[in-house]
Amino acid sequence: MGKAYNLTRQVDHWLGEFVVMASTCQILLDDVDAAQANRLVALAYTEAKRIEVKYSRFRDGNIIASLNHAKGRTVQLDDETVKLINLADLCFRLSDGLFDISAGALGKLWHFKQQTTLPSDVDINALLPHIGWQQVQWQAPLLTLPAGMQVDLGGIGKEYAVDKVALLLENEMRLQQIDSAFLVNFGGDIYANRLRRNGVAWQVAIEDPQHLGKSKLMVSLGKGGLASSGNSQRFIDVDGQRYSHILNPQTGYPVADGPAQVTVYAQNCVQAGMLATIALLQGEFAEDFLKAQDCRYWL
Amino acid sequence: MQLKCKSKTFANISLTLAAATCALVAPAMAELSTPEVSEIDSWDVDLGLLIYAESDDQVQAYEGALSVTKQIDDERSINVKGVIDVLTGASPNGAVAQNRAQTFTRPSGNGTYTTAAGDTPLDDTFKDTRVALSSQYQQQLNRQWLYSGGANVSKEYDYLALSINSALARDFNNRNTTASVGFSYAYDTIEPEGGIPNPGAPVDDPDNRLEDSETKQTLDLLLGLTQVINRQTLMQLNYSISDVSGYQTDPFKILSVIDSDGWANDYVYENRPDQRTKQSLFWRTKYNLQPSGQVLDVSYRYFWDDWGMASHTIDSKWRMSLANSHFIEPHIRYYNQQAADFYRVYLDDGQPIPEYMTADYRLGELQTYTIGLKYGFPVAGNEFSVRLEYYLTQVSGDESLAKGVGMTGVDLYPDKSAIMLQSFYRF
Repeated sequence: MGKAYNLTRQVDHWLGEFVVMASTCQILLDDVDAAQANRLVALAYTEAKRIEVKYSRFRDGNIIASLNHAKGRTVQLDDETVKLINLADLCFRLSDGLFDISAGALGKLWHFKQQTTLPSDVDINALLPHIGWQQVQWQAPLLTLPAGMQVDLGGIGKEYAVDKVALLLENEMRLQQIDSAFLVNFGGDIYANRLRRNGVAWQVAIEDPQHLGKSKLMVSLGKGGLASSGNSQRFIDVDGQRYSHILNPQTGYPVADGPAQVTVYAQNCVQAGMLATIALLQGEFAEDFLKAQDCRYWL
Repeated sequence: MQLKCKSKTFANISLTLAAATCALVAPAMAELSTPEVSEIDSWDVDLGLLIYAESDDQVQAYEGALSVTKQIDDERSINVKGVIDVLTGASPNGAVAQNRAQTFTRPSGNGTYTTAAGDTPLDDTFKDTRVALSSQYQQQLNRQWLYSGGANVSKEYDYLALSINSALARDFNNRNTTASVGFSYAYDTIEPEGGIPNPGAPVDDPDNRLEDSETKQTLDLLLGLTQVINRQTLMQLNYSISDVSGYQTDPFKILSVIDSDGWANDYVYENRPDQRTKQSLFWRTKYNLQPSGQVLDVSYRYFWDDWGMASHTIDSKWRMSLANSHFIEPHIRYYNQQAADFYRVYLDDGQPIPEYMTADYRLGELQTYTIGLKYGFPVAGNEFSVRLEYYLTQVSGDESLAKGVGMTGVDLYPDKSAIMLQSFYRF
């Protein structure tokens, strides 16, 4: 008779866990009682699930499906989606076209599921005309995708869910006058609201992409967002060359010669996530990009 | 060999991104309101056990209940509940105490039982098992409208109750106001062992039975209004009207027929009208004291019907949080009831037998005091609670009716008390 989430008492905190957006999601709560923990985790789960349902490209009947099936027609977006598209649009411009939410179609060729051969150039070239955010007409709240183009907010959604859930928890705790530190972790995308009791930082282990399951480094996190991007989970090796799941929307090929993984600390999780992703898209210049950003990062 | 350009100059985009991402999650005011917590794909199971025991070996009840709620999706949920009751013990048969022993024929007509001098006659054949099954479906039709509908069936040895209900609720005023309208229809069948007694006929008359079974139909209408007053206070107002038609007499209740010396020379079956209209007004306030998390829940109900009955109920609960998610909840309830027009403690010998009469104390003048305490704590992350309650029912009436040699000194209106122990577990 399981709930959609699990709540367990750990030595010095409550741990709520659920699976949303194909990731293990955790809510850590320092100073709350069982009923409060239950309410807060339920709230977090409900919100994360809402975002998943609304933005998953694997579902029918949501806004992403409407856009991807619009066949060139204009779609009017709600306020929340307008904000997300604005951010995607900004990231596209700030990254000189490397961060592109219309690049998802490349995933059909680069699916990384027991893939041992590279897609053919013919296939890739056939796809490229349907990729490229510069082709869309975006006049908020109206978005027109050229027929055949698809968008995928997967590159923003999880980080957005982390920040949104964190905001919701902060509001609810203010309303309920609960005074507690918390940490939201959606599959490695993290936000912490403040130092733990007694002023101790949260200790976050970042997984080593080369040795899954073992942690590479520990990061002390007080308040802010932490996000990682890299080929830790999805990659293929062909002829001794590892191809990461970070795809260059302009060439249709994975980005080469970049670091295996980038972890960035920023004010919030979306910011950290965008910086990490854009850094990785720079390939061998990832670190140069990060240095210019005045942010803490780990390669 | 390819020479790599070892560095590249980048613009700092962090600040632009910071501004954009802050705007991204900055809430519009409408989003600030906490969404309803729903646990999709989840089953909620409630288990309850109850032991109820009246003083002097009167009614004892044991009840087990299992309730399963399934949240089908964001909008729909279904609940199925099963209850088993086992009742044993004895209950007052309606006859008055006498200064001599009294012997009664059992309601079924099979055999007799004897009550000692000075004791209130109790029918000791009271034994039953009840099985009830109910199902309730709820659906959020859209942002404002909530529908719920359900059906119940309950079966005892000699009683079958069937009912259906339906309700619609609408939210107004940013969900701060909820108005609801509901109705229910019930159809009950009673088939007492030995048949339906002939009202007013002597208990010992061999020809005092009518048909085998009788039925009763109840139609209820409920109007409700719930208002969020502020962050701490919730107020609820309900009005209900209920129309009952059909057999409402208790076939097991009798009245003593008393002569001028106070002796009961005869006993006759009671009779109640076939028609009853009941109405009630209910007001409730829940107050949430911040930041301690205490909840004060106070309600008042006024009930009246066309049988001349009226009652007032004041109920209050005060939930206090203790450390580690434990809580205690004291409960106090006061109930005061005015007798039905046709309530008689007994009938007078030589007078014509009235059309309607009952000596059932539950339709007489009485006050009930309840005091209880609930204690809850988490077990394996779920809430477990235990409730202990004490009830005292004070029946009142004209003491001077205890007349003559037969009744002088007997207690015509004996008090009753009961203890209830209840436990709940939700997982």
